Amino acid sequence: MYANDALIWLIIAPMLASPLAYFSGKLVQRKINTGKRNWTEYIPGVLTTLILISDLIPLSICAQTLLDKGVVSVTFGQITFHLDGIGFLLTTVVLALGSIVSLYSLRYMREEVGEEKYYALLTAMIGSIIGLGCTSDLFNLWVWFEAMAITTVMLVAFYRQQPAALESGVKYLVQSATGSVLVLIAISLVYTQVGSLSLDVIRDSVQSPSLLLITAGALFFIGFGVKIALVPLHTWLPDAHSQAPSGISAMLSGIVIEAGLVALLRALGSLFFTGNQWGYILLGFGALNMLVGNLMALRQIEVKRMLAYSSLAHVGYMLLGLGTAAAFGQFNGAAGGFFHLANHALMKGSAFLAAGALLYTLHLAKGDHAPLVVDDLAGAAKRYPVVAFALSVAVLGLGGLPPLAGFMSKWQIFVAGFETKNAVVIVLVIFAALNSVLSLAYYAPLVNRMYREKPSHLVETGKPASLLFTFPLILMTIITVIIGFYPTLLNWLTYPAASSLMALFGA
Amino acid sequence: MASANFTIPANLILLTIGLPWLGALLVWWIGNSHPKAQNILAVAFALLSGVTALALIPFAGKETALTISVGGPFGDFTFVADGLGIFLAAIATVIGSLAVIFSIDYMHGDHQLGRYYAMVLFFIGAMAGLVLTSNMLLAFVFWEITAFCSFDLISFNNDDPKAVAGGIKALIMTQLGGIGLLGGALLVYSYLGTYDISTFLAGANKLPANVLSLMAFGFLIAAAAKSAQFPFQTWLPDAMEAPTPISALIHAATMVNAGVYLLARFYPAFEQVPGWTISVIIVGVLTALLGALMAMVANDLKRVLAYSTVSQLGYMVYAVGVGSIFSSQFHLLSHSVFKALLFLAAGAVIHSVGTRDMMQMGGLGRRMPLVRLVFIIGALALAGIPILNGFWSKELVLESGMSDGPQWAYIIMVITAGLTAYYTARCVWLVFYGQPRSDLHGHGDAPAAMSVALIPLAIGAFLTELLAGPFIRMLNETLPFHSIHELSTLEIFQDVITAPATLVALAVIALGLLAWFTRGFLKGLSRPTQGLVKIAANSFGFDSINNSIVRLIQVCAEALRNTQTGMISWNVFGIVGGLLILLAILLIGA
Repeated sequence: MYANDALIWLIIAPMLASPLAYFSGKLVQRKINTGKRNWTEYIPGVLTTLILISDLIPLSICAQTLLDKGVVSVTFGQITFHLDGIGFLLTTVVLALGSIVSLYSLRYMREEVGEEKYYALLTAMIGSIIGLGCTSDLFNLWVWFEAMAITTVMLVAFYRQQPAALESGVKYLVQSATGSVLVLIAISLVYTQVGSLSLDVIRDSVQSPSLLLITAGALFFIGFGVKIALVPLHTWLPDAHSQAPSGISAMLSGIVIEAGLVALLRALGSLFFTGNQWGYILLGFGALNMLVGNLMALRQIEVKRMLAYSSLAHVGYMLLGLGTAAAFGQFNGAAGGFFHLANHALMKGSAFLAAGALLYTLHLAKGDHAPLVVDDLAGAAKRYPVVAFALSVAVLGLGGLPPLAGFMSKWQIFVAGFETKNAVVIVLVIFAALNSVLSLAYYAPLVNRMYREKPSHLVETGKPASLLFTFPLILMTIITVIIGFYPTLLNWLTYPAASSLMALFGA
Repeated sequence: MASANFTIPANLILLTIGLPWLGALLVWWIGNSHPKAQNILAVAFALLSGVTALALIPFAGKETALTISVGGPFGDFTFVADGLGIFLAAIATVIGSLAVIFSIDYMHGDHQLGRYYAMVLFFIGAMAGLVLTSNMLLAFVFWEITAFCSFDLISFNNDDPKAVAGGIKALIMTQLGGIGLLGGALLVYSYLGTYDISTFLAGANKLPANVLSLMAFGFLIAAAAKSAQFPFQTWLPDAMEAPTPISALIHAATMVNAGVYLLARFYPAFEQVPGWTISVIIVGVLTALLGALMAMVANDLKRVLAYSTVSQLGYMVYAVGVGSIFSSQFHLLSHSVFKALLFLAAGAVIHSVGTRDMMQMGGLGRRMPLVRLVFIIGALALAGIPILNGFWSKELVLESGMSDGPQWAYIIMVITAGLTAYYTARCVWLVFYGQPRSDLHGHGDAPAAMSVALIPLAIGAFLTELLAGPFIRMLNETLPFHSIHELSTLEIFQDVITAPATLVALAVIALGLLAWFTRGFLKGLSRPTQGLVKIAANSFGFDSINNSIVRLIQVCAEALRNTQTGMISWNVFGIVGGLLILLAILLIGA
């Protein structure tokens, strides 16, 4: 019972934090409008950060029960919340990344109009992702998914005076809505066939494929796929990820697209029948995403766009791992895919926050909304040693250089691929490795540029980097290195998730 | 990291890898405003790791010395201090120390000394780790770390686009090859459930024949890329943008040997794979020949040495191909010493005159007598002139090539020895003799720290052949899977002196030298070879192949950008189109 209460708190806390941040911000704002800036303007951000961090307490209580029994569930009337390994992974990553982002935003968003809305939306987004991780029926899956979409759309278009931000917000909204409609159709098809929306009931009653269910599966794939940024549904992503405030870019890339992936896996898991075709399709999209993501990033000169495209590629690696799990029952594939999910949140989060710190000190602090381009970074290491080092470690980790976290999760995925002993999958793994090399072709010059002797004009005139930027970056950099040296450190997180996935896909 | 058994060799292994890494952190931490402290720290930590590596020698054994359990798909991180590993770790740390000492003068006044030393020390530790580990995953990890350090140091001068391009080229090419190693390690794991090298060597026959041969050729690709062998030889000359002590350490004495090490280490398992040994021989022979030809026409002092390194590495690969592991490793030792010496001496010259173009040098010998002396010692060893270490090891390679390898390969290798003598003489002459060809006068002879690094290497070029006997004994005792015939130093010497191969080779070498000094008379002969000269100067077209691959990828990437229209109707079309295609695939499949 203890764990059940904890689960309720886990979901409710961010939902309560949202109005709290909003109203406290409104109250404070009235005061500071009359005078100079003072500490009270930090109140909504600090409240958010504290609530998110303290939400780790119910999470750890749930974790103990989860590890004992495999699942924590609680029912309100018709709705059952159901925390399994996958939900636990999603919740842990979103809370950890969310706390860091909200800490970072204390400085990054301080001067923005509507700061309180930012925190309110951020916490609402985190709450809906936690909810998404804990649903047990298709209807709630869709509701949480939509809640997440609505909050993220508003966050993407947060700089509402900027035409580029508005444009990307509209694109995101339209494409995301298209996807949602497809998901809704898929849900109605499943309901037509099965007569229930509960994932467990669907799973038990679906024995063999039918035209209706296959169509539903394809609609799930494409509908959720928009949010996961599967190629060719990815076109909203580079705009949205680069235009959002940097903390939100970190969230979008680190966890929001992955939340879509979890939603897809849950939906497909209920439709799993013999033939493994979902697994093969995951592998196919994986290959496509890796190639297109890396090639598109190769010629990018805007740093945040480059990182956004690289997210496509990294989703590809996750799909490769999860695909071997779904198609061949490889436990290492599931564990490696989820390990890469966590590592990607860590490294891409760090990369976006570091790029954001540079964007802030070089552009935004001077009231300039121009994008951060690669040339701006020249010589950044001298003036911003911590930020430059963090960005270097993050991108090299993403490129898969050992001994950093990204290498180890890719390795686990590759092991799974080879363990299938299937020639096509082995070729796919080699293809993935080639893609990692390709990704170094755009990461390495980025690092080089920061360690130039001659600083760019912008770096010379840049504002100092706040401790609120450097502290989260140091933390994430250290974790990236530690996981690289001790790759089994996250097994408590990835193994339960992998077990849950294997249970979904019938192993 | 649950369990680790801390015996003396285990501690020494940890120190050999850990000390330079600790030093790297400290040098970085202390900051570029304290260059003196950075110099002292870097030298101290490099020397300490050299001491610990040498202290491992009495503890050489074939058993796993250190196990760190990690579990899951990562296995146990194991280290073994066998003869081959200790030998290469000692080279990495000792020559590393000398290169660090040399850097005190060479890098004097640089603004990013912290990054420089940190990367050098990080490299030294990783190189020691690469040769001491007995886990293929870990070997791959260290392999990649050395590639990264090499990349960062080649492009150390980030403001120079040539340096950045050279660094990235080196990184990408060695990484591409590295996939061969990665694939091999994963194959072993998927069939044997372990990454342990000894377990694999003992149970290689448990792998299906096609898997083993896939792995063997994968490792050959990895080795060729790392050791700048055919057809990957193009990155090494471009890597010469690195500060010269780096060229000496990474691109002559240590990292480029990793490929040869890999082939030697796994030889017992791959020996039986059909077509493998002959492929290794072909790679070695082609590389040795092409490298020597390019060295004959290059005018950049460091590029001559780089081509010569490519060529000499070809000798080592060839030696592995004919099955003579000892002679390949023995030549590796000699080459590390004399090539590090040549590079460092060249560094002293470049530091003094400020150019790498030999056409602007000439007559420098009078102003730099010490540098001239040590350079000539190194050059004689490279050319294979008796009693220097290069003579003994090269003769040993050729001798085993004559007895165990195909005749055509042996003949090409002997001719290449003649070419080596020719380009060596040319290089010495253009730099140190004749009339000065420009008004670059230089600052005079090598300063103190440079001399401290040069002199031990020059002495080493006379003496390292004496280590042959003890070395072969250590290899024999600690490598259970290799068949190595144990001999004493004296027996090896007798062997070399009495072999007919030696006389042939010496005659060809003399011809090569003669060809340089009589070049005036040979002018008539040179006309028909003009075409060859031109092709060699363009690195036989391999660079343009590389460039066109790079261009192709870039054009594809650029073309793909057109798909990002930014128009919302096309974006939604992408979604709908994706749905239709997926449905079609599913319906056909179902």
